[in-house]
Amino acid sequence: MNDHEIFINMINDNLNEMGDTIDCLYTTSNSCVKNKLLNRLRKNMSNIAALAQGLQNGAGANSPQAGAGRMFTPEELSRYNGRNGNPAYVAVNGIIYDVTNNAAWGGATHFGLTAGTDVTNQFASCHAGQPVLSKLKVVGKMPR
Amino acid sequence: MKRVVINPVTRISGFMEVSADIDNNIVSDARTEGLLFRGFEKMLEGRSPFDAVYFTQRICGICSTAHSIASTLALENALGIVVSEQGRYLRDIIHGCEFLQNHIRHFYQYTAPDFVRLPEGNTLFETDHIDFRLPKGKNDRIARHYFDSLEYSKNAHEMLAILGGKAPHNHGVFIGGITTQATTEKIARLRLLLQGIRQFICDSMLPDAYTIAEYYREYFNIGRGYGNLLTFGCFDGYEKLGTLYVSPSTYSDGNIMKLNPGEITENIHSSWYMARQETYTPFETIPEPDMKKSDAYSWVKAPRYRGLPYEVGPLARMWLCGGYRNGISAMDRTLARALEAEKIANIILTLLDNLIPGVDVQKEYEIPQSACGAGLTDTTRGALGHWCKIDKQVISLYQIITPSAWNLSTRDRDNLPGPVEKALIGTLIKNPDTPVELGRIIRSFDPCVSCATHVYSKGKLIKTMQVVP
Amino acid sequence: MNNANNCCPIFSARLETASVLVQKAADAVRQKRIRKRNLIWLELTGCSGNIISLLDGANPDFKCLATQLVNFIYDNSLMAAEGDSAMEKLFGVTGSDYILAVEGAVSIKDKGLYNIIGRWNGQPITAYEAIKRFGEQASYVIAVGTCASDGGISAARPNPAECVGIQGLLGKKVIKLPGCPCHPDWFMGVLAYLMLFGEPELDSRQRPLMFYGTLIHDICPRRPCFDQGIFASKLGEKTCMFKLGCRGPVTRVDCPIRKWNDRVNWPIGDDGPCIGCAMFGFPDKMEPFISYNLT
Repeated sequence: MNDHEIFINMINDNLNEMGDTIDCLYTTSNSCVKNKLLNRLRKNMSNIAALAQGLQNGAGANSPQAGAGRMFTPEELSRYNGRNGNPAYVAVNGIIYDVTNNAAWGGATHFGLTAGTDVTNQFASCHAGQPVLSKLKVVGKMPR
Repeated sequence: MKRVVINPVTRISGFMEVSADIDNNIVSDARTEGLLFRGFEKMLEGRSPFDAVYFTQRICGICSTAHSIASTLALENALGIVVSEQGRYLRDIIHGCEFLQNHIRHFYQYTAPDFVRLPEGNTLFETDHIDFRLPKGKNDRIARHYFDSLEYSKNAHEMLAILGGKAPHNHGVFIGGITTQATTEKIARLRLLLQGIRQFICDSMLPDAYTIAEYYREYFNIGRGYGNLLTFGCFDGYEKLGTLYVSPSTYSDGNIMKLNPGEITENIHSSWYMARQETYTPFETIPEPDMKKSDAYSWVKAPRYRGLPYEVGPLARMWLCGGYRNGISAMDRTLARALEAEKIANIILTLLDNLIPGVDVQKEYEIPQSACGAGLTDTTRGALGHWCKIDKQVISLYQIITPSAWNLSTRDRDNLPGPVEKALIGTLIKNPDTPVELGRIIRSFDPCVSCATHVYSKGKLIKTMQVVP
Repeated sequence: MNNANNCCPIFSARLETASVLVQKAADAVRQKRIRKRNLIWLELTGCSGNIISLLDGANPDFKCLATQLVNFIYDNSLMAAEGDSAMEKLFGVTGSDYILAVEGAVSIKDKGLYNIIGRWNGQPITAYEAIKRFGEQASYVIAVGTCASDGGISAARPNPAECVGIQGLLGKKVIKLPGCPCHPDWFMGVLAYLMLFGEPELDSRQRPLMFYGTLIHDICPRRPCFDQGIFASKLGEKTCMFKLGCRGPVTRVDCPIRKWNDRVNWPIGDDGPCIGCAMFGFPDKMEPFISYNLT
């Protein structure tokens, strides 16, 4: 399955979930449950928006033409460590992503990895096949 | 001569072996050994100094708050941070709750089963000795309190969590005081819980302690040790409230003196370590393990004050503040601990009265390139010190001397046994086949071996000890 | 204290899981539909804090566990017997049915001599030997806390005692209940479930889904702050702790609704960041715990 198909499948999953949620909304009278269901709808919507963005970028995960942006050297990248006003960037497969506000990068670190570094190998060992990157903003490239 | 080995010594925190030589029913020599190694001091090197507060708590599951307090004091000292009065109150309330939790659990879950027959039909409560002297009514009352007390020790931890997030291993204690603020709602809840705990201490725990003391009177005459007492002080030196408990001080040969922290050393004469010198001050060095050292017998080091072993803990504090002067013995330690529980409950009440709701004591902190700081405080089991050096904004040296290291310390060059060993030596053992006296004396010190042997060491070569007839 | 979540029926139902299970199991024991099980609790290379946390259990509580649910045979911190007679109780279970709960990692350096838990026939018994001997024979093995589950703080770099989680040493499946410490509800709920129905549904890391199914971030009461980008810059603030290094977004457990110590509070409720103590890789991969000056 290529990235494109994965994305389409995920959009369909989200749409199915939204259908179920709407069915539930018709039946519940409890305001607490209703809020929870509405939250879920909102989450599905933001998922679909992110996935659509990913498709626009050419199912962009690994595509080199994404986010044409500037070129970084490893030294330049290392300055973007998420501290003292610098955003947090990481490199995967030659592309630089912004993780400043990515929830999984609390403290500009992620499972012992620090921002401002090339995490290609670690990414491959943990997230291969997952559409994680498509949700991140591309800010540049780094020759490998 | 007969050598008795007890392993595990149960109803303590951590793993401990005691071996005693018994000659004509008298303990002629005794050695205590901790049996757990993790190496926290080594682990801390290279970590962010801020992380020490949450990290060092994991040394010990029963007195974790103590380590958060000492590490915070060490960091504040290193960073040059002066804590506000409200910050101290908040933090000391958390610390007080830890005292209450520990003392109630130590008395009922750890000490009482030594003297009281617990309900039959439960494997956990079966013993092999028969030295139970309480009449049935009194025995059963204390046995009932064994379970009742769980409610109150749990409530003490609940109080701790109201300000500290959770327990064990709280999140609240931090540089500047605690992370959160007191609210009127929190203060009211704390007061309510404290009231119940205080009542339980006064109506049940203290009478129960005196009941046990009454039927085991000879324990006032055994387990004395050196009679050297030391405290780093706690609940003391408040700007407005003065000293609510005890200032840093020592007692030796009938004299009470002010503590001079500069005279604290550690000695590795009988421990499997190598350093440039056998005796060093806390900031000087973390000794490297050396298994080949011929005259060593343990990996617990020997903390000394002015070159002498000192006992630490509730009795030392109660003695030094003048609140208890009955004597120094196994039973006096148990009574002093119970009396201290009441005292601490009263201190928490005073601190609660002086809390101002809504005061935020937190700031953004910066780690200096290099610095060093010491955090000395008395905690549940006695004097606890953390010494921290920072280099390139990370920890470069972290020294921890725990209360149980003072009490379970090894012999130094003068061949003076540690306080617990000393307390065991000379004890009359009624029945060497069930030497119940040994465990009772050891438990009167409330040892925490998770704490005492956190230090870095290589594995010990185990020699097989047999009972020598 | 913070009861904002308790009005939601979904959350309150989930909060009842442990107490309902324990009550059902206690009833079933009383009515002799199931039998009391033997329980061995081994404290190995760790801080012995999980047994203290168990004593903090509120509903269900420790007394119910020890008197109605199981025959509690061995625990170093609580048992009245000591020395040889304590070890006799432990070794006496050989050949019988028992559930094994383990807290603490296992030191494997120098054949496990870094942690000795007792003597049997004059010979020291290491934590390593104990887990091998009593783990393989147990009906179920429960890893209580992060150290037993994945090594935890005992295995923190440079791991001087060479500690490992217990699964690596056993040929049978271990149910993992990470958390530093383990919440009493998680342990008692799982124990009751085992007695009533057998093994609960586990995720790919062998954690029971009934307690470890949600990400803290997804049920965090401060999630709206995150979504709107309202971040705390120091401890003590009431907003999202993400910019102080919060690990809620990578930690799976029901801490935000279950809370601690009679549900009175929890770390983020105490205005500090989650440090990921219930997650594999704690502490090394969850550090730094607190960072200031993040962008």
